[in-house]
Amino acid sequence: MRSKWLMTWIICLTLAVAMGSPATAAAEEVKIGFILPLSGALAPTGKALREGAELAADIINNKYPDLGISIAQWEGIPNLGGAKIKLVFADSRGEPAWGADQAKRLIRDEKVIGVSGCYQSSVTKTASVEAERAGLPFINPDSTSPALSKRGFKWFWRVTPHETWFTADLFNFLDGLTQGKAPGVKAIPKAKLKKLAVAAENTEWGAAALKTIEEFAAQRGYEIVEAFKYPHKAADLTSEARRLMASGADVYLFAPYLADAILFIKTLKELGAAPTLVWGQDAGFVEPDFAKTLGAAANGILTRDLFSPQLADVIAVSGQINTIYRSRAGYDFHGSSARNFVGIQVWAHVLNEAKSTDPKAIAEALNKLHIPSKELIMPWKGVKFGEPFPGDTQQNELGSGVINQLQGFPGGKYQVIYPFEFATADLIYPFPGWK
Amino acid sequence: MELATQIITYGVLMGFVFAFIALGLSLIFGVMNIVNFAHGEFLMVGMYVALLTSTYLPLDPLVSLPIAAAIGFVLGVFSYRFLITHILRGPMVAQLFGTFGLMLFLRYLVMFIFGPDVRTLSHGVLVGKNISLGWISLDASKVMAAGLCLLLFAFVYWMIYRTKLGRALRATSLDAEAARYMGIDTERMNGFAWGIGGATVGIAGGLLAHFYYITPTIGMLFVLIAFATVALGGFGSISGAFLAGIIVGLIQGVGGHYLSELKFTFIYIAYFLTVVFRPRGLFGW
Repeated sequence: MRSKWLMTWIICLTLAVAMGSPATAAAEEVKIGFILPLSGALAPTGKALREGAELAADIINNKYPDLGISIAQWEGIPNLGGAKIKLVFADSRGEPAWGADQAKRLIRDEKVIGVSGCYQSSVTKTASVEAERAGLPFINPDSTSPALSKRGFKWFWRVTPHETWFTADLFNFLDGLTQGKAPGVKAIPKAKLKKLAVAAENTEWGAAALKTIEEFAAQRGYEIVEAFKYPHKAADLTSEARRLMASGADVYLFAPYLADAILFIKTLKELGAAPTLVWGQDAGFVEPDFAKTLGAAANGILTRDLFSPQLADVIAVSGQINTIYRSRAGYDFHGSSARNFVGIQVWAHVLNEAKSTDPKAIAEALNKLHIPSKELIMPWKGVKFGEPFPGDTQQNELGSGVINQLQGFPGGKYQVIYPFEFATADLIYPFPGWK
Repeated sequence: MELATQIITYGVLMGFVFAFIALGLSLIFGVMNIVNFAHGEFLMVGMYVALLTSTYLPLDPLVSLPIAAAIGFVLGVFSYRFLITHILRGPMVAQLFGTFGLMLFLRYLVMFIFGPDVRTLSHGVLVGKNISLGWISLDASKVMAAGLCLLLFAFVYWMIYRTKLGRALRATSLDAEAARYMGIDTERMNGFAWGIGGATVGIAGGLLAHFYYITPTIGMLFVLIAFATVALGGFGSISGAFLAGIIVGLIQGVGGHYLSELKFTFIYIAYFLTVVFRPRGLFGW
């Protein structure tokens, strides 16, 4: 009888220990709020970003033994008892005020442990204020206005490099062309590249891009012969396109979202513009719909980016994960969707380091975090938060950009041209034009 | 000089298109005193008709115009019969929210069917072609769109002011009760106004698709311009919509060249000033 009681007690005790153990915690979920523009003009972009984040969560939560990065072996967050990442998406509609409301809702109603998003710098700016007020971490994967990391926020960390890097990349690229460093092209006299015309959409992102380009041009000896901001929800951009053409610029530089990028290129083609180079500041120029919609009209267009499927040649895991992404989304990763993948990857690493979902523990872990290059799908040296440029706080200092060129229509691909040492194809120069 | 000519020419061409888009909105308001918030979505449907016709049928998108007109007409009449007649019984605010609801329904129905992707017409007799007039080069599809808008605008104007049907429509617009006493079927006239409104903006959508991108959310952009155009020209005024369309086209063309960032601001300043100093608009009653 006594042995029966003893056995019962042992069983009960075992069950109780089991219930309190990490194995039971594995059933728990860690909820992360994710704000994206899922409707409105930016809905196609939001969809691609969501797919990037969802793939990262899937790889963290399930085993992918063939992928050579640690999150693929975890099946949840190891130091949180295998807890699964659950992304709670909210639609910003592309509007700063609405994005901030969504951040409040996620924090108050969904009880998320932190927030990510929001693609547009203007929305990230307002939404991150709500996280700052609530004392919850906000990890931004993809907004590039330099001002965001110069606000001195305690609860804001940015994974992506910001515009200052990308603009430096552009001028390094132009200087490289004059020094004969570009693959397949002899040194180009600076006089043929000197005159620049800039068209930037008029939200915070475009305005910041324009300002940085103007500063770098002055420092590096280039001449801005035309520069203006325009509303990206424009019914017609003919006047703006004519303005670029009338400027006599050699190089056209754009900072647009998707719809206006398409409209600009279509209009310039219709007007028969013939610049020497056309370069876009990411965003609209790297959306899957950009090349798909414009077809051969996009041949030879350069874009600042952070990713190219061609990187598979130099980063094996990048190619493997992009293959999975393409099989699900129907198109390749682009710089923004790939950065959203990395954003969720950062969440996984930091939660594992923090061993807790307590905001202070996460913040502490974020400030100590170092993800090495081999863990990433991006051509970065890693993720480590610091002060890469004067005034930056909690900004990843190991990121970098690439410059791609759309080549080979039909079926055009983004070929890496810069950094020149990672070039996957010869540069098409001069721009073939639309005449 | 060449640049100025080109900017003004494009401004006027786009003005004809804006005027034609605003025509249906003005007509519906004139006859029924209802603001159709779904007007932009009717335009978007016209754009998708052009896209589908040129993608799935071996036809030039120009052929889609009568199809877009027919679908727009049916959409307008159905909206009237199955929505507007019901919400007319409610308070004013129900009428506002009714067409707003129709706008959301159409937008997200199209998004559900075709997805949020941005598309453009890839082929067509006039797609991507230019017309050179010696000193200026013009986009052929814009010239064609503006020309057809002008022609169809004139046709609708003639129909309203020169035909028996048009007189019945205007009588309904001026005093529906008196018109009923005179034997006019005002219900039919209301439905007809919605049908014409849908057909004209459907054609405008088919024309816009030749040089503009297509996405389920595109309607909002154009309906805002149409509201400003109608308010500027005078609610219910056909000739007012025409003149205001050209003014709006010129403002956004010239504004786009000199102060692109503020080009919509200039349009809405014109709208604001009209509302403040001449609430009935340039030609409204």
